[in-house]
Order: sequence, then C-alpha cells, then structure tokens
Amino acid sequence: MKNKILSITFVLYIFIFFILNIIIKDKDVSNIERRKLNKLPEFTFDNVINGNISNDFENYALDQFVLRDNYRILKSLFEFKVYGKLDSNNLYVKDGYIFKIEYPLREDKVVNFTNKINKLYLNDLKGMNVYYSIIPDKNYYSKDNYLKMDYNRLINIANNNINKNIKYIDITSDLELEDYYYSDIHWKQEKLDNVVRKLSKNMNFKVNTNYTYNEYSPFYGSYYGQLGLNTKYDKIIYLNNKTIDNAKVKDIENKIVKVYDKKLLKNKDSYDIYLGGPTPLIEVINNNTKSNKELIIFRDSFSSSLAPLLLDGYGKITLIDLRYIDYNILKDYIKFNNQDVLFIYNTNIINNSDMLRV
Amino acid sequence: MVFSSITFLYYFLPIILLLYFIVPNKLKNFILFLGSFIFYFYGESKFSILLLFSCFINYISALLIERYRNKILSKIILIFTIIINLGALCYLKYFNFFIENINSIFKSNINLLNIIMPIGISFFTFQTLSYVIDVYRKKVKANTNFINFSCYVCMFPQLIAGPIVRYSDINDELENRKVTFDDFGTGVERFIIGLGKKVLIANIIGEMITSFNNLNNISVLAYIIIGLGYTLQLYFDFSGYSDMAIGLGRMFGFHFLENFNYPLIASSITDFWRRWHISLSSFFKDYIYIPLGGNRVNKIKHIRNIFIVWLLTGFWHGASWNFIIWGLYFGIILIIEKYFILNYLNKCKILNHIYSIVLVVISFIIFSCSDMNGVFVFLKNMFGFNNLPFINSETIYYLRSYIIVIALAIIGSTPLLKVIKNKMENNSIFNIVEIIGCLFILILSTAFIIDSSFNPFLYFRF
Repeated sequence: MKNKILSITFVLYIFIFFILNIIIKDKDVSNIERRKLNKLPEFTFDNVINGNISNDFENYALDQFVLRDNYRILKSLFEFKVYGKLDSNNLYVKDGYIFKIEYPLREDKVVNFTNKINKLYLNDLKGMNVYYSIIPDKNYYSKDNYLKMDYNRLINIANNNINKNIKYIDITSDLELEDYYYSDIHWKQEKLDNVVRKLSKNMNFKVNTNYTYNEYSPFYGSYYGQLGLNTKYDKIIYLNNKTIDNAKVKDIENKIVKVYDKKLLKNKDSYDIYLGGPTPLIEVINNNTKSNKELIIFRDSFSSSLAPLLLDGYGKITLIDLRYIDYNILKDYIKFNNQDVLFIYNTNIINNSDMLRV
Repeated sequence: MVFSSITFLYYFLPIILLLYFIVPNKLKNFILFLGSFIFYFYGESKFSILLLFSCFINYISALLIERYRNKILSKIILIFTIIINLGALCYLKYFNFFIENINSIFKSNINLLNIIMPIGISFFTFQTLSYVIDVYRKKVKANTNFINFSCYVCMFPQLIAGPIVRYSDINDELENRKVTFDDFGTGVERFIIGLGKKVLIANIIGEMITSFNNLNNISVLAYIIIGLGYTLQLYFDFSGYSDMAIGLGRMFGFHFLENFNYPLIASSITDFWRRWHISLSSFFKDYIYIPLGGNRVNKIKHIRNIFIVWLLTGFWHGASWNFIIWGLYFGIILIIEKYFILNYLNKCKILNHIYSIVLVVISFIIFSCSDMNGVFVFLKNMFGFNNLPFINSETIYYLRSYIIVIALAIIGSTPLLKVIKNKMENNSIFNIVEIIGCLFILILSTAFIIDSSFNPFLYFRF
C-alpha cells in the first residue's frame, strides 16, 4: 500500500508541474531579483549540436519554474530553521535588519579600485581638489558575531595605494546601523546630516539643513525580496528645500528629469525616487545661486540620495557612475576644468571593482 | 543531463515514464533505448555517435565470438574488441596526459590535442568490456537483438555515472520484466533518497568547502573540516547518484546491484573497498586481479597483482598523477593490512574505525587537490605544521553555520536510519511518515535546485 501511494503521488507531482510549467505563461522579469528571466531557447541545429541547448534550457526551466519564489522561500526557511545556518545566500536578519555578508576581502580588487582612481587622477584631474571617501556597507555596523570582511584592512589598503594628492574623508564614524534601511542596502537620506557636515568641512562648501520631510511607505528594499521572508519593511523619506525644489536635472541625453520623481516610488525599486535611479551621467544644476563652483561625484547608487543635500554648496553637481559609462567615452560628455571632485563608493563596489569601467 | 536538474526531473522523467508505460511490452526496450539516447545526445550530442558505435562494435563482436567459439578467431575478435574499447577510452581520456608527461620528461614540445572526454565513457566502456569478456568466457550468451543490447549499454539511469552494471546481472530482465507498484514505489523512494543525498547534503557540503576555501584567515580546524567535507561530499554525491540510478532502474523493472554499503563505517581499508564503489572494485577483481592469479600466487606476484589493480583503479578515476597516487596509496595500505595489521585491526573495535576514517579522509584530500604540491600543503596545514591558529572567528562562523548538515551527513553515513526503517517496516504510522518524508525531500530538493539559479543583480539593474 505504501509503495502504491508513493508511486501515485510522485508521478502526480512531477506530471502536474510538468504540465503547469508548459501551460503557464513565462515571465519577463523577476521583481525580486531585479533581472530579466531566461526565455525558452531556440532549438536550432547549431544550438543542439554544440551542446548549448542543455545549459540554456536548464537556465530557462530554473527561471520559469512555477511557484519559483515560493520554492525559494521554502529553501530559505529550511536553511535557517532546520539546518540552523546563520545566513542564506549570504543574507541574515538581526533585530529587523537584513544584512548581506560581503566576504572575503579581495585585496587585489581594492588595489585595482585605487589604480583606477589614480589613473583618472593622473590623466584628467591633476591640480584639482580631489577627495575620496568610503561608505561602509551595513554589515560594518552589525554588532553581532556574523562574518565580516576586514573593513579596516580594506580602508588601509585603499589609503596606502591611492595617490597622495587625493584627500581621504573618513565618514565611518559619522554613520551607525540606524542610518541604513531595514530591508535595503542603502543609507537613509534623512540620516546623512553628519556625513554631509563632514564632507562640507573637508571640502569647504556650505550646507543648508533646513529641510521639509516627505514620507512614502511601505518601501520594500532589494534585500527584502532576495531573502523572501516576512521581515520589516521601511519608509522612504525624501528631503526638500528651496534649492532642491528649484534645481534642474539633466540626464546624459540632456533630457530634463526631476530630483525626486514621485512616480518612481511605484517602481520595482522605490529608491529610484532619488535622481531617477541608476544612470551613467546626470547633472544637477542649482538655480538658486550665481556661484559657478562645480562638483563632480564619481559614485554608486548611495550618492543618489546624498547629492541633493550637497547642492547648496555648488552651482552644479555632475554624478558619474562608471558602472554604466566607460571612462574612454566620458570625455565626450564632460570637461574636467577645476571642479571639485569626489570619489565616493560603498565597500561592496570596492571589493568588486572590476565593474568600474576604467 | 544530470538527475538533479529541473530538465530531468520535470521534463525528461515525466515524458519517458509516460511513453514507457503506455507502449506494449515489446516496445519498452526500444523506448528506453530511444529515451536514453536522447538523454545522452542532449548533453553530449557530438559523442552520441561514439556511443552508438560502441554498442554496434560490441554487439557484433559478441555474436562473432559466439559464432567462432572454440576457434582461435574468437580470441582474436575478443582481443580486437578490447583494443578498440580501451583504445577509444585511452585516446579520449588519457592521450593528452601521456603527451604532457612525454613533454615533461623529454623536454619535447608535442602539441596537445583538443580532445574533450565524453561523459560516461569510463562507465559504458567497462560495461561493454565485461559483456564481451563474459560472452567469451561463456558466462552469458550473446544478445542477438541490437535494440535490447543497446538498451543495456545506453540505459540512462546508469549511463553517465554508473554503477557499472554487468550484463549478466540484468540479461534476464532485459528480455522479460514486469514492473509492480512495489518495484516502482521502492524505486521512487530510492531515487528520492539519492536526490536528497546529492542536493540537500553533498551540494551543501560542497558550498561549505568553498566557503572555507575562501576564508581570508584560515585555521587548522578549517582544514580538518575541509578534509572531512571532501569525504562526506564525495560519499553523498556519488552514493546519492548510485541511489538515483538504482531507484530509476527499479522504476523501469531492473534490479541493479548495490554500489555502496556504508563505506564510512569500515573497520579497515580492506573493508572500505568492499563497501565503496562495489561495482568498480568487483570489475577489477573479476577482470584483472583474478586473471593475474589473484592471491593464489607467490607473495611477490600477489603484491604485483595488487599494485597493478590499484594503479589501474586510480588511473580509471582520471588522467592525473593525483589519481594514480591515490590508487597506489590504497594499494600500499591494502598490502600492509593484508600482510601485517589486518588481524590486529579486527580486534580493536573503536581504534580500527578511527584508523580507517583518517586514512580515507587523507585519501580524498589526495583525490580532491589539483596537484601533489597542493596535497602536501593541505596536509601540513591540517596537521598544524604551518603555524596556523587552531581556530579563528571565521572558522567558528562557518562551523556554526554548517554543523547540523555535517552532523546529518555523519548520521546518514551510518546504517542507523536503515536499521530503524527495517524495524518499523510493518508499522502503518511509520509508513505514512515515510511517504510524507519522501515527498518532502522531493519538494525540498526542487527548492534547493531552483534556488541555485538565484542570481540577484544588485548593481547591474536591467
């Protein structure tokens, strides 16, 4: 009897999913992973003979499996609750915060990072006021004994290898865990007061902290979906003042965009409200000043929420994301002539510096 | 195509089961052969002709051997067939290894060939060899039906990773078999257990080994865990695959012999090799060791025989000096056990297990490292001769993270669960728990396989 029941349930199970996988329409993207999902590969003669089809089809079958996200939740739960693993896909939850472990420290990538900055400095930025700063990822502030890369070593390697004319601004003591979102990798704009002051002091620009606060909730950050468990969500607070309200923002195609486009709060990633999300090059022009002092920020997504708060000190801020634009074509879009320059990257980018296209 | 993939579990398997069970009996071998050929073609399309060629040559050879029985021609055909089989294996698996060594010894500069080894060639070559040799030895009759014979050689459950199924073990079932619910259900259970061993234990331990290998600061304990991890990973990976093969075979009405019998509880290395990859060691015993005279010769020849067998066993595992040394390592230990310590080992009930597991762990370090220099560095680190700290915070972190999986793997490598199962066989509540457990392992394994595609892009968004 046992074998009969087991045989029937097994066959039913694999057949039901076989049929469901065939009849249910394929999805284009995974909102949780924020990537395109694999589509059914073409069964061409070449694909079959060169053996690509088996990998391509498996990737497709994995991506489009019915109830895929539910299976992933089951896996996460099992890993935490039964296997007692401290993290799942390098993610763990502590006191409501989702942390992602970035480990190990890849010293060669840190050196590679500084080499890229040095190359840019020597080629284009000599004689200008150039600064750099490192944004620790959330795990830096975790108080528990979870696995951490050696952040101090990362900072030391970077400081030892960076060109001595580039001034390091240490902001590690100006942040704490509460300054980051529960469910996302990023810092909170409303908590950047100390960071902004530290930068203004070192770079000698003025700041205006007289903001109005606008709220949006719920904000489910990128880690929320990745972990797949029911954890704390966040609210997004974006800061306005007259300077920000009157600022003009142009993207790489000279299209006018907004500092805060509220429509983007409904995007897959609400963090896109800050300067429209990922973009290779964007200019923020301060219409409230006659100053022609300019700042160029080489940056990652953390600066999207930081840059508006620096605007009172400059006539124009240009943000360049070298993950999306190659250094070799950068000069078609920008001229370097005595602007202030700030390189500011979070530790994850530094530890994976190959993604910077320099 | 591997069993622990979505393509196999949720596309190939439902289709082949459906076709197999709706066609009349006389077509079942054809469906199984066709399905198996597609199974192989899908992953190794370029070599699928080689597989068919191997079927054809060995099929014809066996018929000719039988036809010219008791004549010198049958011996010539046998030798010719062995040369073709081993020639193909040597060329595709070992040619570049030989060239590399010739270049290294004679400082020559012979170009390596762009050869890719076909998956499963070591397994199906040994199967076909055993078949023609057994026909020559009159142990079995040559199969006159090409489809039936090809079905035996290509049968997908055992095609790419064994066990090495002898024709003599399943020739009756090839011609005439019946699948009952008992067979099918037992096969399903065995398949799911194998799937769980592979996906829920071996893969996780593999992930653990990678984590430990990536540590910025490594410790002696980390090396000990990696060493133990290699052993557990190889055991659960390989025996899991054998379980899946045996289970699938059963679902189609075949009874393959066991390939593993709890080798990690062995009381000596002699005992270990009676329990580990049984189909391979019995192949070497029956087709190499005994024809050389086995142990019924003088001591020198006996030692020679052991060395030959273990040199070949090591070499069979791969074209690398690591594998040859791995085989010889076992050869030396088996000689020492045979002539000196086996009697003592049999008397020390606990020490013999510790002795065996330590030697097995060292053997799999040799097996898993890419070169011998790596093996020496590993062993030096593991035994604390490199001034590493015994333990550090990173080691503790991963040990805490994987301790339950390690514990489950250790329990799972003993017969404890089998003993419980046998005792409770007639308990209906236990049977229900067993069914639910099996289905849960299937669902969970699917979840782990699916999650392997989890690939979030934090920075490169669309």
